[in-house]
Amino acid sequence: MTSRFHYDLIALVIFAVVIAFGVPALMNYDGFELNTFARYLALAIVSAALALSWGTAGLLNLGQAATFGMGSYAMAMHLKLRASDGLPDFMGWNNVPELPLFWVPFESLAFTLLAGLLVPAFIGGLIAIFMFRARIAGVFVAIITLAFLVAFQLLVINQQGQTGGQNGLTGLAQLTLPGWTVDPYSMGFYYLVAGCLTVALAIGVYLTHSKFGLILRAIREDADRTRFFGYNVATYQTAIFCISAALAGWAGMLYTMVLEFASPTYMGVSFSLAIVIWCAVGGRESVIAAAFGAIVVNLLEGRLSDVFVEGWHLMLGVIFVLVVMFMPRGIYGLLTDIGARLRGPNRRQSPAKARPSPTQHLETGQEP
Amino acid sequence: MDVIANQLFAGLSMASILLMIALGLAIIYGAMGVINLAHGEFVMLGAYATWALQTFWGIGILPALPLVFLAVAVVGWVIEKAVVQKLYHRPLDTILATWGIGIILQQAVRLGIGAESRFVRGPDLLSGNTQIGPLIMSNYRMFVIVFSVAVLYGTWLLMTRTEFGMKLRAVIQNRGISECYGIEAKRIYSFTFAYGAGLAGVAGALITPLFSTIPTMGTGLVVDAFLVVIVGGLGSLIGAASAAVLIGEATALFSLVINDTLGRIAVLAGIILLIRFRPRGLFPTETRR
Repeated sequence: MTSRFHYDLIALVIFAVVIAFGVPALMNYDGFELNTFARYLALAIVSAALALSWGTAGLLNLGQAATFGMGSYAMAMHLKLRASDGLPDFMGWNNVPELPLFWVPFESLAFTLLAGLLVPAFIGGLIAIFMFRARIAGVFVAIITLAFLVAFQLLVINQQGQTGGQNGLTGLAQLTLPGWTVDPYSMGFYYLVAGCLTVALAIGVYLTHSKFGLILRAIREDADRTRFFGYNVATYQTAIFCISAALAGWAGMLYTMVLEFASPTYMGVSFSLAIVIWCAVGGRESVIAAAFGAIVVNLLEGRLSDVFVEGWHLMLGVIFVLVVMFMPRGIYGLLTDIGARLRGPNRRQSPAKARPSPTQHLETGQEP
Repeated sequence: MDVIANQLFAGLSMASILLMIALGLAIIYGAMGVINLAHGEFVMLGAYATWALQTFWGIGILPALPLVFLAVAVVGWVIEKAVVQKLYHRPLDTILATWGIGIILQQAVRLGIGAESRFVRGPDLLSGNTQIGPLIMSNYRMFVIVFSVAVLYGTWLLMTRTEFGMKLRAVIQNRGISECYGIEAKRIYSFTFAYGAGLAGVAGALITPLFSTIPTMGTGLVVDAFLVVIVGGLGSLIGAASAAVLIGEATALFSLVINDTLGRIAVLAGIILLIRFRPRGLFPTETRR
């Protein structure tokens, strides 16, 4: 346990050093390239957030994009208000006479930052309480979160006057922190995103190695036995769902700043499943691996789509199917297997051999 | 009153389409516990196969149905052999793998045929409308309703009156014991998956005159179809049918009272509530796993 904690700490430090010094040097300190990479880093946060709920607690949340979208819209609303005098332009086009009430507090930066974290956490918490009190598990968690995602996206697109509908929120201002206007093509912005990712990963590593994380893993392995030990399983599941949602909202806020617009496609089924893909490729058991997976897949996507304009999506599908079939624990699983083999056959078998999949027991939907 | 009657018919028509798509999914999920997110792409393949048969060989929709069924069933069979069979002990991973397969199929069609919308002519025999008082019904939609009921009945016969169906039910109830009696569970699974895929292909063929045929048409359909299966209950045919009618009619009536989108949102909310309180569906089957 402690040795694994040390490995994770070392991995985190290496990861932080590489994205802080290695990547900008490789990119020649080029603003455009760094902006692209900052986008990957923002997506890495949401992938790590999914690893917390899916990898640690075994709750496959297919609606992660909804909480991501809430964060990104919170930030976009603030920046939109900064960009327009009084009423945002699209409200005029939709005959909305005055600013809707829920837009008003987004004038304040402090409120926006809090809302970007707490609104997703609150909504995530409501869904979690709703599900986990009834001991819903496995596939049914996936289906409920997916249905919520679809409904939420429809709602956002439908309320065109308040949310910009299908067009999303465009024409945003740049964020003004006290004494600093954040230019998304600057070094400063890159370090802001990299710093956020490092902090998010540190939180994730701490959580997975704390007693809280241990109980979550116990719940993943066997919810009933954990319950017999006297732990309130639903409370723990709800807590990790809230934390994961808040991290996703955080990632969403950064993502809006990178791309300088917010779109309802951030809440689409395809995007949500893409998050699952990154997490699975990296390895869902470790937040660092999941973040790494997000960066690798998006980097590949960027490079492949330059070379093979048409065929890259196809290759991505093939890679993903192969990963699921032959590397069910992702890159992380591959590394730990190699590590276990290097240490020799006398040592304890790698956990992969002992239990093929952390989600295996979820076969039956509701617990008895 | 006229509006309500017409809306009820629209709901029934939607239910028949949902049923056709969900039936294959229900069999695959019920029999094997595999969540097939590539199912929407099977529907899409069926639609494109119909288009190809009509454009290049001049075969109309109705004679094309058996050919489309076979073609998509073969695709499903190959996918089952190559990928799904390796993942039976990891049910949640099948969600991911079949989603990957869906991406591959979708992109393959986009690269091979093109992303633009294709049109398939409905059969001349079934063009026009039938009017009963104020109720106006499209003949083709009526045909789809009747056809989906027939397919439901056919599948029920297959499950209860044939040797294959008996073996399948045995494997669903207890795979290990069935294998002891000499039933090859793997073969049964392969055929079941192929049959489910074939049904999706037929559904795709039938909806081509009603929907626009584009490579991404399956993504929206699979979510709806999956909700039908979950609401209906694990592997229950009658459950899938009643859930399709329930969701189709609820969507149609809600869109009458509020607007289309809000109607759909209301239905999704209803489904979430239903799963919460009856996670095993409306008509759960007793299975031992």
